Amino acid sequence: MNHDNYFSFLEEKKLNTNLLGSKGKNLFKLHDNGINIPHCFVLNSHAYTEAITKLEIPKKLRLFFSRSNPPTRVINFSNNITTEILNYEFPKRLILELQQAVTRFNDDMGGEISFAIRSSANIEDQLKFSFAGQAESFLFNNSLIEIIHSIKSCWASLFSPLSLLYILKCNQRGIELPTIEMAVIIQEMIDSDIAGVLFTINVLNNNVNQMLINSSWGLCETVTNNSVIPDLIILDKNEFIVIDSKVGDKEIRRVKNPNGPSTIIVKNEPEIKKFLCLKHEHLLKIHDLGLNIEKIFGYPQDIEWAFKNDVLYTLQSRPITNFSLDE
Amino acid sequence: MKLIGEGLSCSSKKDAIGELVHVKTIEDVIELFDSAQGKICLVDDAGITTLGPILSELSGTICTTGGAGSHLAIISREFGIPCIMATRLHVTDASILIGKQVQIKYDGENKGLIYVLDD
Repeated sequence: MNHDNYFSFLEEKKLNTNLLGSKGKNLFKLHDNGINIPHCFVLNSHAYTEAITKLEIPKKLRLFFSRSNPPTRVINFSNNITTEILNYEFPKRLILELQQAVTRFNDDMGGEISFAIRSSANIEDQLKFSFAGQAESFLFNNSLIEIIHSIKSCWASLFSPLSLLYILKCNQRGIELPTIEMAVIIQEMIDSDIAGVLFTINVLNNNVNQMLINSSWGLCETVTNNSVIPDLIILDKNEFIVIDSKVGDKEIRRVKNPNGPSTIIVKNEPEIKKFLCLKHEHLLKIHDLGLNIEKIFGYPQDIEWAFKNDVLYTLQSRPITNFSLDE
Repeated sequence: MKLIGEGLSCSSKKDAIGELVHVKTIEDVIELFDSAQGKICLVDDAGITTLGPILSELSGTICTTGGAGSHLAIISREFGIPCIMATRLHVTDASILIGKQVQIKYDGENKGLIYVLDD
């Protein structure tokens, strides 16, 4: 067994960033470059590899897919794997290290805080495979038990019916999938007032001299999950000018579920649906953020951001995968 | 050819023609698993149902909510498939359109139009 630590922390030097997954690696790079991200630490991907090896999941997958099972069998198989992962007993050392990390985190933050648990697979940034590793986020985790359950749920999301159908489809077409490794980000939960997505090019027409923003009230998930029609704003990239803006319906927003670590949907009041969520000073900050992050990665970026009390947080950044500057 | 809806063209601007199918659940994805080729898929604010496993075979995607930053738009762009988000359908009951041949056409200024062909 290896005796590396299970967790990586923002302040660590000489970090093995290969264990952080795409999202984690990018977040650590943003932090190193002075971008404001929610405070976080990462469960390295070898914890995932250790778990699925112990549960013999790779072997079970090989067997399932070698038997030319019809797609309808996927749901049952997915349920079985999910149950096994959710019942997996964390190694004692992992629990201990997690306890220490959470205590240290709460000390840093000056009180007990709520956590967002997000998957960080190694293939999220890869063109045409990006959604295979796009798993869910689990929000508003408070206790250690909730955090552990959400970490396992992140792992299990790689074996959701949709993921398995995707693997089945790749097998049928003879496409070889890269080996997936998943790290998990344990992050300060930003219960945002406004959130959304920023593309550092205008993805509607591939204009590299413009930026595109989608925004809505509350948490970012409503924008990324197509649950609302968000506001749309086009900015000039080179100097701060609003080229175009369109108010979206923004019918709903997601808020904390008082009964546990999840969110519920509430309807937005009619008076806040009528205008853009983002004011001039918000747009200035987002424009500045876009320029900074694109410079850090040297490539157009797809950025999820959030405002809480007018403080701007970057939740994640990934390259715009369908766009190649080399072409 | 009759106009049945319009929305924001978020991906390729090329035209697409195909049979309209409505995906609401994972069972719908399974049903389409071996027959998605060339179809145009309508999804609504069931949102989290991704078309991942069949997306690359579709000739177009239409969503009644969302925007350029939604996962569906991002993935459609990765595969260069026409994708119309925030679509306003001009019919009250979309189910009457299912199974019909529809066409996605680009109308300039990021506007995508949706027509039914065999009416």
